Amino acid sequence: MNTSAHQPIPPRAVEALLLDTTPFLSCEECFERLDTHVEALLAGSDTDPAMSRHLAGCAACAEEAAALRQLVEEDTQGA
Amino acid sequence: MRPTRFEEAAPPGPACHAVGAEPFDWVTALSTSGPQRDLALGQLHALMVRAARHQVWRLRDALPDASAATLDVVANQAADEAMVALLGKLDTFEGRSRFTTWAYKFAIVQAGSDVRRMQWHHRDLELRDLDVPAPAADDPAQQAEASDLAHAVADAMHRVLTPHQRRVAVALLVDTIPIDVLADRLGTTRGALYKTLHDVRGRLRSELAAQGYLPGGTAPASSSTASSTPAGSTAATSIPSTSASDSSSTQAGEP
Repeated sequence: MNTSAHQPIPPRAVEALLLDTTPFLSCEECFERLDTHVEALLAGSDTDPAMSRHLAGCAACAEEAAALRQLVEEDTQGA
Repeated sequence: MRPTRFEEAAPPGPACHAVGAEPFDWVTALSTSGPQRDLALGQLHALMVRAARHQVWRLRDALPDASAATLDVVANQAADEAMVALLGKLDTFEGRSRFTTWAYKFAIVQAGSDVRRMQWHHRDLELRDLDVPAPAADDPAQQAEASDLAHAVADAMHRVLTPHQRRVAVALLVDTIPIDVLADRLGTTRGALYKTLHDVRGRLRSELAAQGYLPGGTAPASSSTASSTPAGSTAATSIPSTSASDSSSTQAGEP
């Protein structure tokens, strides 16, 4: 997993390091808003820029948002 | 052994919890006593199992044992834990989303965290410093190299980040250690590590903007810095897989 000694920072890491994650939103606040955010996205609106920035900058939260979105979509299609 | 699907019957489907048509007032049903609450608890558990299975299945490739039996055990344990967490926060549900969506997130987050912990359970983590040396100030060749963005970032990391910030940034973004796994090992929280990362990004962006690599720079950055160890240090802290390290030495929650 580690890069070997004195190798340049990989491009994906450079991009992640320089990501603008303002306005700040904590992982805890992200969890609080996750359900409403996913429903808003599925309704075709994205009105929470702080959530979008957080999800761009936090891989774990982004994965969970994707999982929730997929599950709710499945429900919608099965309803 | 790679399953084609969970061996048990398909996860509880949406039929009895149709999206957009809540079957009943979940909060009231779960807050009362008697048969109605028992029914609601049963239906809630089915929801949690469905969501946990969904997430465990998504992440199954991360598990050392992705047999159907193991996936089912992981999902059910996550569902049980998530249900306890949900019931503890039931009074915070404000109805801004459907109850099912709100409930699902507890199981998805729990299951995801459980899978990542299992994935890294037997692996020691190395909380290492950046191993890209900072360019020497009087070396034209190395100065030229720093014109490359990656080298400029590495240089900035040495100059404007603390050793702790560098190690967290390297662990999360270079070595891609999951944030909740790292938080567990350091005895801190996912939120604290994300705040550290947010601060890292802010400092680096300011520095790189000041150098002209990013838009918005107006003046040379004060190369104020926080580094208390020699630039280019490759010191690393190995964190055992079985217990949290001494967080005082790693300053895990340092903002």
